[in-house]
Amino acid sequence: MPQKRLTKKEQIMNAALELFALKGFYTTTIPDIANSLKMSVGNMYNYFKSKDILAKEIIKYISVYLGEKLKEINEQDISTKEKTKKIVIMYFDIAKSRPEMIDYFLRVYLSNREVFKDGCEGMACVSEFVTEIMIFFEEGVQKGELKDQDFFSAFGLFMGYLGGMVFLNGEKILPNKLDFYVEDIADNIYNALKK
Amino acid sequence: MKTKILWLSGISCYGNVHSFLTYPHIDIFLNDFEFIYHPILDSTYTLLEITQNTKECDILLLDGAVADDFQRADKNIKSIIHRYSKTVKKIITVGTCATFGGIFQYASYKNPAGLHFLGENLQDEFLHLRAKTISISGCPIQPEILINTLYSIKQHFDIPLDSYLRPKEYFAYTIHNGCVRNEYFEYKVDNHRFGELEGCLYYDHGCQAPYTSGSCNKILWNEVNSKTRSGSPCFGCTESTFPKTNLFETKKNMGVPQYLPLGVPKRAYLSIAGVTKAFKIDRLNKKMM
Amino acid sequence: MIELIEKIEGEAKLDFSFKDELIDYVKIEFLTARGIEKILQNRPALDALVINPRVCGICGHAHLIATTKALENCYDSIEISQKAQITRELTLNFELIQNHFKWFYLVMTPFFGMPQDPKKAVYASSLMAKAIAILAGQYPHNSYSIVGGVTSSFTNGDLIKVTHLIDECLLFFKQNLVDVDFEEFWICDSIEHIFEKQGDLVDILLKIIYHNLTDMGKSYDRFIAFGENSYFKRGKSKKTVVSEKLKIEHVQEEFISDSYAKNVYYKNKSYEVGPLARAMINKIPLIKDSHRKYGDSIFSRILARVCETAQLLHHSKQLINIIDIREPNYIKPKIDIKNLSGNGIAYVEAARGSLIHGVELQNGIIKDYSIITPTQWNLGCGSRENMGIAQNAMVGLKNTQEAKMVFKSFDVCSVCTTH
Repeated sequence: MPQKRLTKKEQIMNAALELFALKGFYTTTIPDIANSLKMSVGNMYNYFKSKDILAKEIIKYISVYLGEKLKEINEQDISTKEKTKKIVIMYFDIAKSRPEMIDYFLRVYLSNREVFKDGCEGMACVSEFVTEIMIFFEEGVQKGELKDQDFFSAFGLFMGYLGGMVFLNGEKILPNKLDFYVEDIADNIYNALKK
Repeated sequence: MKTKILWLSGISCYGNVHSFLTYPHIDIFLNDFEFIYHPILDSTYTLLEITQNTKECDILLLDGAVADDFQRADKNIKSIIHRYSKTVKKIITVGTCATFGGIFQYASYKNPAGLHFLGENLQDEFLHLRAKTISISGCPIQPEILINTLYSIKQHFDIPLDSYLRPKEYFAYTIHNGCVRNEYFEYKVDNHRFGELEGCLYYDHGCQAPYTSGSCNKILWNEVNSKTRSGSPCFGCTESTFPKTNLFETKKNMGVPQYLPLGVPKRAYLSIAGVTKAFKIDRLNKKMM
Repeated sequence: MIELIEKIEGEAKLDFSFKDELIDYVKIEFLTARGIEKILQNRPALDALVINPRVCGICGHAHLIATTKALENCYDSIEISQKAQITRELTLNFELIQNHFKWFYLVMTPFFGMPQDPKKAVYASSLMAKAIAILAGQYPHNSYSIVGGVTSSFTNGDLIKVTHLIDECLLFFKQNLVDVDFEEFWICDSIEHIFEKQGDLVDILLKIIYHNLTDMGKSYDRFIAFGENSYFKRGKSKKTVVSEKLKIEHVQEEFISDSYAKNVYYKNKSYEVGPLARAMINKIPLIKDSHRKYGDSIFSRILARVCETAQLLHHSKQLINIIDIREPNYIKPKIDIKNLSGNGIAYVEAARGSLIHGVELQNGIIKDYSIITPTQWNLGCGSRENMGIAQNAMVGLKNTQEAKMVFKSFDVCSVCTTH
């Protein structure tokens, strides 16, 4: 499938994601990113005034990206059980095709809170993603398929589980490919959350 | 020339009558309007006279639900309505029971309902009267809304109506407009406790104000207050769904209120909620005094 | 001879029998009933706080307070702050007062050659409605009293305004009903003193005397009141003999044919409820004097209702002075009512007399609800051998117009009677 034409900003963010995954967040510099795109540093600063601002924009970008994929699943007229499986598949697909995104989320966003504390308080910068998860849960409860419970208990179970599997995969601890685990993981999640 | 009005009560509690009687300028009103019948005030005719014959009348005010077997002075209420509806210029359904059935749709009668609606559903029997009906829902009504509407009819003003025939001038607002607890709503501060000045009742205590139509926080009640300002939840009494159940609790699905503010899409609400939840506004988390 | 009595929060039919040109028996029929007790079944407990005020538009607040107390009495123990209790008593007082003003100027004055006066009725009653709204959000139909206290949190400024509204009412009372200083009125023990004053009440009382109507409306001279608070006492009075013990087991309702109302008896006897009853049990000096001279006639009944208006206004001011604004308005019950099973009975004094509510809860759901209203007491329809209070009061009258006046002197509420 032909890639959608990326804006300059998106190109920069994608390049940054790859370098962060390769070299680490703190060791990657703005000149590093500029060089990889054959851009001047001065030009880079036109798009992102600082690395911190770039970091925040990237997390929002990922949130929007994941949010849109989740929204597609949410809007389908299928059962909550089927949606659960599709979400797992979607998440693992991204882990496979865009590992630098999941890597960024786990190793940069979650692990370097001081970078994100001004302007990305709480879940302010992941709101598109979180909103879609809330809708998934809310509709599941409304339809009587999921148990009504505190949002965070359910969120932690779902996201913690998926994040953990992807982390293990990244560390090359899993004996099988991620696809192998989809059925059992989707079942476990649905069984834990269902009414 | 006084406009002749008939206050006809169906299955009612007379709450609308007594709300009407809190309007301070009743004597001035009575200079301009003549009650050919009223449940308490002196009227041109007695109940017997008004039900046995069809007296000259400009506007019919129907208060209370109607049913197949409900009578006033031994005359079937629906037959009284049919008779007067032929000659009156306008019909006003006064209150939620007359408009939607309200609480007394559950009364022990045969098929109690509002004049045109039972809950949300349009009824057939008086369909031919829709064009001359104005609905003023509320349990009870705010007297200003009834009185202003009567004057608007008398003075031939244009009265735009919503899909339930309610005057938009009053029902285009939500009860939420003008609530003094608005900041707690805006910044999603959800730690309300009963009996306190602070806090928003929408998140936990069943307040239906953000999705209920009316002017309670604009016109105010008795010129001074409202339920939500004083700390009671809005029970949605102007709507077709009144009364729901568990009226003091907010139904939530995994933390998300089941009923969202009127016209606000779920994604918009959740995104806004998500952003505001990220910030803790100290002033709004403290006691005011 | 059947007459339709209207403008009594609904209607009633009086079927008159005459003997020797005097009324010798009146059958009282109430024609419609909505079945509120059934509407409540299987609803969550707190929803009753919203449904029950809709029993009636002029005394719905009494139903709210009775509902709250009945639900609270389902608990083995529950803490309500004194502030919340006083607030509830205040708003209930205000409802009684607004009712009495309306009754006087819209129902009674026309029987005495004075036209109905909507301006006076609305002016005075809406001051009280406003006072209720300041504390409870709105009037009519609020649900500010809930299990555990009240939902509102008024400030000192609110209480100042409420006090001023009471003062305006007292001024109205003085300028229109009886022009006497309240302190004088409060301790007055002689009705001759009242005859020397000016006012709409005085005019009516003098007319009753002048037209020799002082025997009109006398009944069994038996009074009862169940709702006890800081002003009203519980008890019963046979003529002037007051006893304070009342047991709910002796209260019994009875179905009657041809009417949707039910009779109610205490130990198989009819008793009068309302302001005259309350005044007799409280031994109010002025009413005792009236009763000494004119028994339980319309004279005493009318005087008692107007007198109660002033006294409640005065008492309310005193209650406001003892409110400690710092107390909590609401104390969350230790057990959520959603998990509660049990029974509760409550008694309050509503405008027309004692109101009794009984509820049975099972896991927070209403299994059964029972309401006995004051008009059931006063307007019971018994047989010729065992007439109710108002029935007995109409016996011996010359015509239906006199009977209507006696009937309405009891301040009838049709919707409450049948609920």
